Amino acid sequence: MDLLIDSFVSAILLVVSLDAEMIAIVGVSIKVSLTSTLFASIIGIPLGFAIAFGDAPGKRWMITILNTLLALPTVVIGLFVYTFISRRGVFGPFDLLYTQRAIIIGQLILIIPVVTAFTISAISRIDERYRKTAMTLGADRIQTAWVVFREARFGIGAAVIAAFGRVISEVGISMMLGGNIRGFTRTMTTAMALEYDKGSFTLAIALGLVLLSFSFGMNMLFHFFQGRSRL
Amino acid sequence: MTVYHLSGIRKIYGSRTVLDIPAMKIEKNRIYALLGPNGAGKTTLLNILGFLETPSAGKIDFREKPVRFSASALQALRRDVVMVDQHPILFTTTVFKNLEFGLKIRKIVPKQRKRIIEESLELVGMRDFITAPAHTLSGGETQRVALARALALKPEVFLCDEPTSSTDIENQAIIINLLRQINATRHITIIFTTHDRTQAAGIAHKTLVLNHGKLVAANYENIFSVLVTHNGNGHVRCRLNHDVSLSATLPATYSGNGRTRIFIDPHQIISESGVRNPESEIKPQKSSNKLQGKVHQIIRENKDIRMVVDSGVWLTMIMSESVYRQNRPSVGDTVDCYIPPEAIHTIR
Repeated sequence: MDLLIDSFVSAILLVVSLDAEMIAIVGVSIKVSLTSTLFASIIGIPLGFAIAFGDAPGKRWMITILNTLLALPTVVIGLFVYTFISRRGVFGPFDLLYTQRAIIIGQLILIIPVVTAFTISAISRIDERYRKTAMTLGADRIQTAWVVFREARFGIGAAVIAAFGRVISEVGISMMLGGNIRGFTRTMTTAMALEYDKGSFTLAIALGLVLLSFSFGMNMLFHFFQGRSRL
Repeated sequence: MTVYHLSGIRKIYGSRTVLDIPAMKIEKNRIYALLGPNGAGKTTLLNILGFLETPSAGKIDFREKPVRFSASALQALRRDVVMVDQHPILFTTTVFKNLEFGLKIRKIVPKQRKRIIEESLELVGMRDFITAPAHTLSGGETQRVALARALALKPEVFLCDEPTSSTDIENQAIIINLLRQINATRHITIIFTTHDRTQAAGIAHKTLVLNHGKLVAANYENIFSVLVTHNGNGHVRCRLNHDVSLSATLPATYSGNGRTRIFIDPHQIISESGVRNPESEIKPQKSSNKLQGKVHQIIRENKDIRMVVDSGVWLTMIMSESVYRQNRPSVGDTVDCYIPPEAIHTIR
């Protein structure tokens, strides 16, 4: 019990003192997660919108596949990407392994289905009358699509928040593709795993507190967007 | 001028034909009421007239030109025809931006847009709500803003799907007056669906009745062309034909002798003394507002019973089921119909 209390107090002091190593780790995590979320949004939102708004054949199958991909374990993605970017892999010559870009690629695979599936869900919840109203007011197909997109904006915002929350807390991809290199690919979750292995809990708990704060913030934002989407 | 000319229009969903109209014409600057029970095809017809749905078969001429059912052609036509839903939905933004949407699409300059929006909201009595978030409005207010949003676009044809069904009595009166006003002042052709025959008769120049997707013969129920004479005691006599004349209390503002049109509210006609012997002689009584007639048709309409009686003139009365059960007249029976003077209204 003393160990927990001592570690917890030291961790709080570490957070309050804005320890340089901790800040560097948090910085890497945020940079990598924001980048992967940005690219996943650029790909996933239009894809989800196209699937939900259009009448493409095989729409149900696409949704089923996306829902399946939501449950993809991070270590499977790590292993999958590794086979492509390792020295003997197809993309070996690009020297991607153990870089932040490798983590971003893996995280993209993880969260594109999240953003896409949540966007489909957000668009599908929008009342059909919005589309009809836009059309009768003279809107063309693109203007009608924009109306539907605007009405679904809070739901789509929630999709992006959910995706960010997923990548900032994942460990498998960051560990397998980033290699946990200090000051370069060491993220909050990989650093916590390492500190645990070393039996040094102070930094691990401090990072855990930061991660929990992030998760809390993400959830607050998520609920804000979810709430607004139901207005 | 004919705005719409429909020929051989059919709409089929799967194996079910929901609309089958061999021919129909809609004249410019007129108000049309589209009556019919639920599932009769009223909304489908309105969607087709609004170029929101394409028919499965048939031909439509709009402004005497054939309509091509391509997406771009229909989108161009939708600029002249605006539809307001039975339960309209407003975009989740301000009332101003809701009205601005269609004007922006039509590339109206901002200064002009603002003026049109203010005028349109003024017309529906919602000027004070211009900056209000649209989702905070009540049902009646939403309906009025939706009407303003459509009217701001100055359409040639205005389609309304049951415009008063989800509003209270106050808002119903506002909406009905508004429809009359825009038809009279802006010369907009209006087609609206309703279940309310009285409302249809009150404002429409012509009533169309749909049943099972087909247009059925639509005569003006309880609307008569009459010869009016003042009898000196504040009442007037309305002579419908040689045998039938009725005493009425027409408004004080009504001063004319001569021909006019009256509407007899079917809810106010009383089937007074019940069923008589079918073989008894039918005698329209000249001195009172009591007419004898034979029951021609009895139909259940939602919770009411609608009875058509041949009493020298075709008379429709609507009564509750409990009132009907008191005498239970059958088709062919002879009944007395009492028409209270206050049930008679003049029609403009």
